[in-house]
Amino acid sequence: MPASIMFLDRRTLLTRGPVVSRRPRTATADTWLRVHRVAMACRFEVLLSGEDRRHTAAAHEALGEADRLDAAWSIFRDTSEVAAINRHAADHPVLASPELFALLQRADVLWRDTGGTFDITTAPLSRCWGFLARDGRVPDADAIDRARACVGMDRVALDADARTVRFTSPGVELNLGAIGKGAAVDAMAARLAANGVRHALVSAAGSSVRAVGGRDGGFAVDLTSPLVDRPRLARLRLRHGALGTSGNGLQHVVHDGRRYGHVIDPRTGWPADGVVSASVVAPDAATADALSTAVLIGGRALAEAWCARHPGTLVIITTEDRQTVCVGRSPAAIVEAPCT
Amino acid sequence: MHLTPEEQATGRRNFLRAIAGVPVVAGLGAAALARGPITGGPVRVGYIGVGGEGRVLLGGTDPAYARVVAMADINPAQLALADAVLEKGGHTTKAVHYAEWREMIQKESLEGVVIATPLWSHADIVVGCLEAGLHVLCEKMMAWDVAGAERMRATARRTRKILEIGYQRNYNAVYQAAWEGIVKAGVLGDVFLARLAWHRNGNWRRHGEPPAANYDPSAWGYPTWEHLLNWRLYKKYSRGLLAELASHQVNISNWFFGAEPEAVIGTGGIYRFKDGREVDDHIYATFEYPGGRSAVFSTVESNAFERNYEIFYGTKATLLLQGESEAYLFDEATAPGTPAAVAPTGVTVQPKGAGPALTASESRAADAAGRAATSGGATVNADRLAAYKAEVSGFCSAVRAGTPLLCGPDRAIGSAIACITAVEAVAQKARLPIPPPVAQS
Repeated sequence: MPASIMFLDRRTLLTRGPVVSRRPRTATADTWLRVHRVAMACRFEVLLSGEDRRHTAAAHEALGEADRLDAAWSIFRDTSEVAAINRHAADHPVLASPELFALLQRADVLWRDTGGTFDITTAPLSRCWGFLARDGRVPDADAIDRARACVGMDRVALDADARTVRFTSPGVELNLGAIGKGAAVDAMAARLAANGVRHALVSAAGSSVRAVGGRDGGFAVDLTSPLVDRPRLARLRLRHGALGTSGNGLQHVVHDGRRYGHVIDPRTGWPADGVVSASVVAPDAATADALSTAVLIGGRALAEAWCARHPGTLVIITTEDRQTVCVGRSPAAIVEAPCT
Repeated sequence: MHLTPEEQATGRRNFLRAIAGVPVVAGLGAAALARGPITGGPVRVGYIGVGGEGRVLLGGTDPAYARVVAMADINPAQLALADAVLEKGGHTTKAVHYAEWREMIQKESLEGVVIATPLWSHADIVVGCLEAGLHVLCEKMMAWDVAGAERMRATARRTRKILEIGYQRNYNAVYQAAWEGIVKAGVLGDVFLARLAWHRNGNWRRHGEPPAANYDPSAWGYPTWEHLLNWRLYKKYSRGLLAELASHQVNISNWFFGAEPEAVIGTGGIYRFKDGREVDDHIYATFEYPGGRSAVFSTVESNAFERNYEIFYGTKATLLLQGESEAYLFDEATAPGTPAAVAPTGVTVQPKGAGPALTASESRAADAAGRAATSGGATVNADRLAAYKAEVSGFCSAVRAGTPLLCGPDRAIGSAIACITAVEAVAQKARLPIPPPVAQS
């Protein structure tokens, strides 16, 4: 703290307006610092305002959470905890770490509350459609049926007392792809807050975003979709909350002139359609992530039902006719640019 | 430089807030509090030397902070180019032209000058301007010799005028974040080695026509037009690549090591461009710091693969600062036998502007460097120009409001003495002690 203001108490400082550094306003005052790393095959980022540059080390430490959870949760690493569960849980109950078990319990609740649209067991369907290998194709009906026989959170038994996971039928697989990035972003936000960071915007892949604090009404976040030829679908001010987005723009398969996105409706075994982009503002990023997938599948009806039961949730949907509508509202976000 | 209207407005607002004395007066130090509110408009500045570097500084001059009253340059063609830069920068008043800087400071009512002339002239011009009661922002390196640098420093102290030396990295947000968030925070552990590299593949010699067929710069010490155009290649005017490139980087190693080097080992020579130049085109110098720390500098004019960077190798992590625009942090292995982190942490900087802090969408995959999913990282030029702008604006704020500067003579003289000594070490291919700056009472 500059010597010249040490005699001023906190209240005086507040009434005098912002306290500035003894250094002159420099390049940092009007800049963003992006501290970033690749994990989970995407970019994780902690955005700091220039005046918070001293928190670069805390951001670096927080990014370690993304690496740690990638190692624990990836289905593409044989050594991960989730891979081990997938290998053995059809044979016997497998003990899970407290952190993973808690996430699986949340996924189970979200599966029930979203009418089965959010489901972490859809990997066999995604594989059948070629999306796990990023090589989409339309499978035959038998293949879809076989895959569906392995899908459903009701085939996963979670024993809270023993903290174990067991699959009640063979072929079941867990894949945290629709909630893991959000959960990692939440873990990073918690680590930042524990290190005294009051304002930061944490994100993964552009689809999982969480605001720790947020000066001047919040962080400006533009929502975009690769399928919509507009600079943005909406602009949000995000503060003390999270934003999750799902869409069908980047991975898809075309069959008989029809475009199928990579998000599969576990209830039918076919890709979701009707919505090109779904975003959810919720208190935490894991929930926002999961719900955005559910809304992409369940559409406006699901969004309205959810928001009626969960006040404080905002959903922004862009439909196939490129209309963007907002459902519900959240104290964590102000929609600046009106939805069309 | 390109600034959005919002950026201009923010900068202007910040400055006006500063010169009004409220509410940032608490941050300006006890002296500012005692003085009370400060008034005054943009600082009246003159530019001395508006060649390539001078025009970059001019381009970074915000009319809200500085009114460019006059410009002096012995080459009239440069003055014409500088006029265009001012106009593009939104300066509404035309600057008066001079060939002689002395005439300019006598005739014009100036508060400060920005100097970007060939190195050999720095000391005389800076001292002359300080003695005339002007504040000075002088491009790096401080001076051609140690005596000149000491003279500048002593004069600034005696006249109580501001003297800031133009090491733009000090004003660059990437370096500030690296210092405060990484080096000072102890993330690197103990650092024993820094590597400073500035590699280029091309000829430093410039080609250009004189401003007139009968143009004669001999009155200013340059026997021919060629001597003026390529002053960097002649020992009389220049200290070569050590002054023009290494001094920037040694300034950073001094900053991050919190010390000045005690000795330098040098070698090098004119290996590629044997075209009559007097300064080396390949230089290798090791600067030895207290505590067993070294900064190893290399510059070559035969290969640009490594471009320019500073790397600090610590016991816990490695920090790479590259191209003045991005930083990367690589963790060391946490346990014996385990590999170091594969994915580095990157730090990039972006002007806030009017755009969003983040562009959200459905998941975007990243390439190995995380670039595909970036939401608009800064370009090299944006960072460098932002640093120039911050430097000139910071100088004006110091003149007007007394805000402290980032690279005054006490700080800048360290790299000057080190690099001047390194010139001699390279010439002798020897290890030479670096004298400490003269103690000032």
